[in-house]
Amino acid sequence: MEIKRLKFIDKSFVGTLLIMLVFGLVVLASASYGISADRYFYVKKQIFTIFIGLVAIVFILQYDYNNLRRYSWWLYGLSIFMLLLVLIAGEEIRGTTGWINLGPLPAVQPAEFTKILLIMSFAHFLNERKGDLDTWSKMMPCFLYMGVPLALIMAQPDLGTALVYIAVTAVMMFVAGANPKILGLLFGGGLLLVALVLVLHFQMGLPLPMKDYQLNRLVVFLDPYNDGQGGRGAGWNIIQSLVAIGSGGIFGKGLFQGTQVQLNFLPEHHTDFIYAVIGEELGFLGAAFVIMLYGILIVRAIRISYQCKEFYGTLMVLGITAMWLFHIFESIGMSIGMMPITGIPLPFLSYGGSSMLTNLIAVGLILCVNLRGKKIVF
Amino acid sequence: MQTNSLLIKKRIITLFLLFIIGFLGLSGRIFWVQFIDGKKLSSMAENNRMRDVPVAAKRGIIYDRNGQELAISVSADSVYACPIEVRAGKKERETAHQLAEILDMDEEKLLKRITRASSYEWIKRQIKPAQAKKIRDLELPGIRLAEESHRQYPNGTLASHVLGISGVDNTGLEGIDNYYDKLVGGTAGRIVIEKDAANRPIPEATHRYIPPVEGANLVLTIDQTIQYITERELEKAYKERDAKSASAIVMDPNTGEILALACRPTYNPNQYENYPAAYRRNPAINDAYEPGSTMKIVTSSIAMAENVVDAQSRFFCPGYVKVGKETINCAQGKAHGSQSFAEIVENSCNVGFVAVGLALGVDKYYDHIYDFGFGKKTGIDLPGEAAGIIVPEGRCKQIDLATMAMGQANAVTTIQLAAAVSAVANGGKLIQPHLVKQVIDNKGKVVKEFKPVTVRRVLSENTARQLSLILEGEVIRGTGTNAAIEGYRVGGKTGTAQKIAPGGGYLPNSYVSSFVGFAPVDNPKLLCIFVVDSPKGYPYFGAWVAAPPFKEIVQDSLRYLQIPAANGIQPTEPVEEVQTVLVPDLINLTPSEASSALVQRGLKVRVEGSGMVVYQQTPQALTRVQTGTEVIVNLSPYAPKNKENQVTIPDLRGKSMKEVVRILSSLGLYLVPEGHGLASSQSPVPGKVVSTGSRIKVQFTPISQ
Repeated sequence: MEIKRLKFIDKSFVGTLLIMLVFGLVVLASASYGISADRYFYVKKQIFTIFIGLVAIVFILQYDYNNLRRYSWWLYGLSIFMLLLVLIAGEEIRGTTGWINLGPLPAVQPAEFTKILLIMSFAHFLNERKGDLDTWSKMMPCFLYMGVPLALIMAQPDLGTALVYIAVTAVMMFVAGANPKILGLLFGGGLLLVALVLVLHFQMGLPLPMKDYQLNRLVVFLDPYNDGQGGRGAGWNIIQSLVAIGSGGIFGKGLFQGTQVQLNFLPEHHTDFIYAVIGEELGFLGAAFVIMLYGILIVRAIRISYQCKEFYGTLMVLGITAMWLFHIFESIGMSIGMMPITGIPLPFLSYGGSSMLTNLIAVGLILCVNLRGKKIVF
Repeated sequence: MQTNSLLIKKRIITLFLLFIIGFLGLSGRIFWVQFIDGKKLSSMAENNRMRDVPVAAKRGIIYDRNGQELAISVSADSVYACPIEVRAGKKERETAHQLAEILDMDEEKLLKRITRASSYEWIKRQIKPAQAKKIRDLELPGIRLAEESHRQYPNGTLASHVLGISGVDNTGLEGIDNYYDKLVGGTAGRIVIEKDAANRPIPEATHRYIPPVEGANLVLTIDQTIQYITERELEKAYKERDAKSASAIVMDPNTGEILALACRPTYNPNQYENYPAAYRRNPAINDAYEPGSTMKIVTSSIAMAENVVDAQSRFFCPGYVKVGKETINCAQGKAHGSQSFAEIVENSCNVGFVAVGLALGVDKYYDHIYDFGFGKKTGIDLPGEAAGIIVPEGRCKQIDLATMAMGQANAVTTIQLAAAVSAVANGGKLIQPHLVKQVIDNKGKVVKEFKPVTVRRVLSENTARQLSLILEGEVIRGTGTNAAIEGYRVGGKTGTAQKIAPGGGYLPNSYVSSFVGFAPVDNPKLLCIFVVDSPKGYPYFGAWVAAPPFKEIVQDSLRYLQIPAANGIQPTEPVEEVQTVLVPDLINLTPSEASSALVQRGLKVRVEGSGMVVYQQTPQALTRVQTGTEVIVNLSPYAPKNKENQVTIPDLRGKSMKEVVRILSSLGLYLVPEGHGLASSQSPVPGKVVSTGSRIKVQFTPISQ
């Protein structure tokens, strides 16, 4: 890599990211305090993952991302293979088979990594078709391209990740010039259809091939006390999360002091509900700080995509941005009762090796585009 | 391509704007959750982790005006279960079995209760110390004991209608205990235990004990001795006459302080559940009745205030009078002939009073009747006071006025009548009757003082004095001679009212016999009203049913209060058939010593409570009473001893050294005092069970600190 290009690195992006990582470790230390015998077990593991991730970033920066275009179909094939593998050999944890056991190595969630692989290959796929996506027939191959991995993820079933895929597909196609009417019809109509089906299921007893508890989690955020168990069933997580955030006030109860978190009223507080920990222990200031950091990160990423000279790079960065955005909206939205419970991690903050590594690889790709995509005038 | 990249840039900007809107929405929602819903959610967070165990406050002590304890609070253990711990202990069935045996409860029901899905469940409230000890020794998982206090009335039935009752939840249900519940009841405390989501108590976490605030103590206007005298006479009249009910009030007519208030039938507030609920009704306050001739005092007052009559006005009684179509007879159709106004009062002449009433007229009568406090509550500090019923002015015909003048037609309460006659006795002021003198805190400091309340002036002093003399004449020469007390000037009026039949009209052979009067006439210290509802036998007149007990009550009370006899009349020490003796001092004697001391003096003994030494006595030592009088002897009011001679240490804080010595000695405990003043701390702490003969260290601190 040409060292001189490093001077073009987006310092706000990198700086914000580093603050985010440190902040995340501090919050994680508090959130995972009482879970394991070694109080810092999760923090140590997370630090290790971050280290691997930073090494991966340095490695990625050695290469020109444009070379990846050639391997697009390989990446796509690898994704499909991993998703199939997880369906066949995956371990079932809480009703979904999302994990692959790698023997002595930590178990991984292929669906996390495939997000990146698919964004890269789909960026290439769309780049070939940009500006020529204004009819049904021209858009159909794109839907098929992303439809296959989506179906495999739905089969796990991992609804949260599936929604991420849908959001990413929509955003990338929109930017690539797809007919907005068709896009709107398809995604908006799809959303309405899902809502309608759910209404029919709960009101009229329309049979669905999903378990009731899974469906319940989708709608319970609308009225968490109406979960059939007076708030002790599917609504419990949302209620406890709202109570945690709501009781935080302006300054919060202080790290390690959140009663909802430390007394385990709030489930999954070191992973999916990490935002509620921030809300309870660091209050509105902490919660707003996180939103601000994400805001900077997203704005800088969009800026990088905007400045990129190749559309391939633009699409890739925007795909990643869309992925993060959806994670942020969903994870935060879930903890404040705005979104269904789907249990997806908050980027850079939630504990989880696969997620953290995926996001850091994504950072590497964005920085790669940042450094190499720029029109350099010598 | 140019348009293409422009399009792409436009779309990126569109996305950017959507993202901004999304983030604003997110921030708005967070703001809402943390600031708008924050308070509610904070308290939910608190409720999530706090499990409360309530600790009932000790009710304040109720004293009589001389500091004698009328109602106290005693601690007793209550058993409760923490079902989660019971289930965790995995001995549910065994636990239920053992508890069922000790508490004499149904095992199956018990098992259900101790495993119910709740944070705690009461098993049985206020159990016996022996049961508590057994349960404590078993150390059953999840079964706990909480100290609760419960009311005890050391004098049993004495003044039960004044004191009222307190329920198991330590709330006042009737009487003073109910009326002043907020004050006397104190504030319940809590043991707050912080629990995690799995409902395990958290070590080192919040384990707050919010101590209950003890209730304030009340000093009543009641005088235990006068109350005792009153109850004695009431009981006698009620039993001898097999009456439906009876009530008597003794009050200071100058201040409105009630010195005694008693009703029959009565009940023991310690075991109120063993009596019919109707026995707890206070007829003197809760019921209105047509008073009959005693009401003639009020008619006379109005007539004299309006100058319609004076003592010398003349009336002629042929034995009957026609009002419109109705004929009103004098009692037994007796013709009184020509009489002065004073004489019609003395003779309780109906014909005379009809004439007075008609001469007064509807307007003037109604101008005054409400002023005397009839038709509305007196405001006495007891629950459920009745207002009585006055015939509405618009519907008052001549015949109504005529009967009202005699004391029929209008329904009044005993307390209203007592207050109205007090106005005659005290020189013309209507005063509000009341039962509480002071509120004092646990350190003996007076928090609130209840001063006499004058409602209004209803008579001029001159009129009141004239009327008093007429009423004195009634006792000297008239129907009230049975109320005369040798050595004292007594004024009063008899009353024998017909009772209304349920279907209208009057019952042929049912009467309310009463007497109301005061003494000494020139400077009244006591006013007493004595009412017997439906006495059986003959004569049923107030003069025979109510006047004699009135005399006994007022006579004994005047002597007890050491009111000097009137000038010129020597109070002859009654040496006739009735002998009187001084009640000996029984405090700290054993029950057998006490009873032999009483029997020697020709007195009867009634033992209340259980214990080894006398704690309190009624009447007090050195009170002069008739021989044959029953003396109530209270043994220790504190936790009854069980067979092992174990006693529960009482709360001594706030008590003087003298009181502490008395209490501890009654329990067979030794005092190791430190300092002087009021007891401020003690060791062992209250509620601890020790064996008799133990030493109790008590720190006394001067009041100023």
